[in-house]
Amino acid sequence: MAVADDSSTITKPTRRSATHTRLWGWLLLPPAAWMFIFFVSSIVIVVLLSFGHVGVGGRAVFGSSLENYRALWNSTYLTVFVRSLIYAVATVVCCLAVGYPVAYTIALHGGRYKNALIAALVIPFFASYLIRMYAWSTLLSDEGLVNTGLKTLGLKDGIRFLNTPGAVIAGLTYGFVIFMILPIYASLERMDLSLIEAGKDLYHGPFRTFVSVTLPATRAGMLGGILLVFLPALGDFVSAQLLGGPGTYMIGNLIQQQFFEGQNQPLGSALTVVLMAALAVFMVFYLRATQRAERET
Amino acid sequence: MAAPTVTADTTAIDVATPRRRRRSVEGKPRIAVAFTLLFFLLLYLPIVVVVLFSFNSKKSLSAFQSFSWRWYEQFFNDDQLISSLKASLFISSVAMVGALVLGTMLALALEKVRGRPARAVGTVALVPLVTPEIVTGVAALLFFTGLGIHLSLTTVILAEITFSISYVAVIVRGRLAAVSGEVEEAARDLGCTAFQAMRLVTIPTILPALIASGLLVFALVFDDFVLAFFVTGVDPQPLPVRIYSEIRLTISPAINAVGTCMMLVSVVLIGLSLVVPRLFGRKDNGLDLLSGG
Repeated sequence: MAVADDSSTITKPTRRSATHTRLWGWLLLPPAAWMFIFFVSSIVIVVLLSFGHVGVGGRAVFGSSLENYRALWNSTYLTVFVRSLIYAVATVVCCLAVGYPVAYTIALHGGRYKNALIAALVIPFFASYLIRMYAWSTLLSDEGLVNTGLKTLGLKDGIRFLNTPGAVIAGLTYGFVIFMILPIYASLERMDLSLIEAGKDLYHGPFRTFVSVTLPATRAGMLGGILLVFLPALGDFVSAQLLGGPGTYMIGNLIQQQFFEGQNQPLGSALTVVLMAALAVFMVFYLRATQRAERET
Repeated sequence: MAAPTVTADTTAIDVATPRRRRRSVEGKPRIAVAFTLLFFLLLYLPIVVVVLFSFNSKKSLSAFQSFSWRWYEQFFNDDQLISSLKASLFISSVAMVGALVLGTMLALALEKVRGRPARAVGTVALVPLVTPEIVTGVAALLFFTGLGIHLSLTTVILAEITFSISYVAVIVRGRLAAVSGEVEEAARDLGCTAFQAMRLVTIPTILPALIASGLLVFALVFDDFVLAFFVTGVDPQPLPVRIYSEIRLTISPAINAVGTCMMLVSVVLIGLSLVVPRLFGRKDNGLDLLSGG
């Protein structure tokens, strides 16, 4: 075959790459079709069903009314929306406050243990999220290890942890802090350390150097971390279920209730759309912020 | 995303500025080091407690009495839990194979095909990574019930594959980006057919990424609760779903034994996915692949 083509050496590469591309195009088809059928179209169904209603015999029926969204516009649901936002933002703040120092310490002072430390950091996050939340719920329960310890230390009644907002936010922070640490760590690793030296010469004092050199240099990492923590935190329901109670329920708990207890799928779909809309708004702000950060650096 | 380059940067810094580095260690970090240690302590505390109390001879979750295998015996004699364990292993294996095949196809195609449709597919394939699982779960549930498909382990597998394709695609694309396509071109110039070039050049180059992402997907699917919770049938349920309903009823130390076994499985898999790429003589390990995703 190669011999036959020898006469037209100039056209050979283009011809080959044309069939080549067609071949690769066929390879793209199955995964693309799969994603379209199972992901894209199922999201479309959620949106469509949110305009539907529960028909005879409890079956969900498509429709075109805003009834479900109107039903969400009352104080019970609005309280939960606001609470979810507050918890998610608080989780992001906690993850930044905890994750930044850890990433900083490992990246700049980890020395030859750096890779081992990152591995030690990553591995627990692959232990089931459910099991880890369950572990905290047993640890923090009224008869749990922490309260037993507090009682032997002389605190007679112990402290009530479970069913408090603090416990839910702490659970979310514990669950997602890795998504903050890894991007910040990566951006600290990319950073030119001589900048810090220069900063020390220029500004004197580690604090001013940190604020005016290190912090801006790791902005992309922080923004990435904020996104990766905020998205799952806003949609979580396991932490509020196991560490909280009805008083700390988030939007995820409401969604779960509509599908498993309330059996009102259209209302549950509307709740899911509200969640997706909130995340989409957040994404827009995020993309703007990263673009600005890129322009400035 | 650009994590694979990180390792190279580090070595450069290590070589170039050892002295400066040491000085910065002496600078101020005592409090930062203490904070990091405390962080690691809290990170492992719940895990250690689960493992420890899985060996407790008493039912208590706050006082350790003495060592016993009691809860493990209870776990392995519980038919429902065992059938759930088998179901989870089955789901993870099938989903791993499915996601590997489709994800690799996607990564290879996106590397070669230019143009708007391909770019659109590439973007859509990233969306599951940033979609909260509850949204994916609700969508999958409505999709299956809407089509009148009976919820079972099959629906769980289909949903898990959808969710895992992106991980494989991202990791394999990262590897493909790190090696140039020139070797493959050279193979073609030397007379290989497209299929031979793929089999002899491309697949061996991405093999470490395939192994790492396969192990990762297995671990993620094995541990996944939210998605499975939404699309599973009644019997048998995947292990995490089974555990969830048990936790809601009572607190039993048998759950600690199940949890310990589950964590053992995922830790071994993740450990392997970190180590295996190294066996292929690559300087960057699976960690870069993972943190790149």
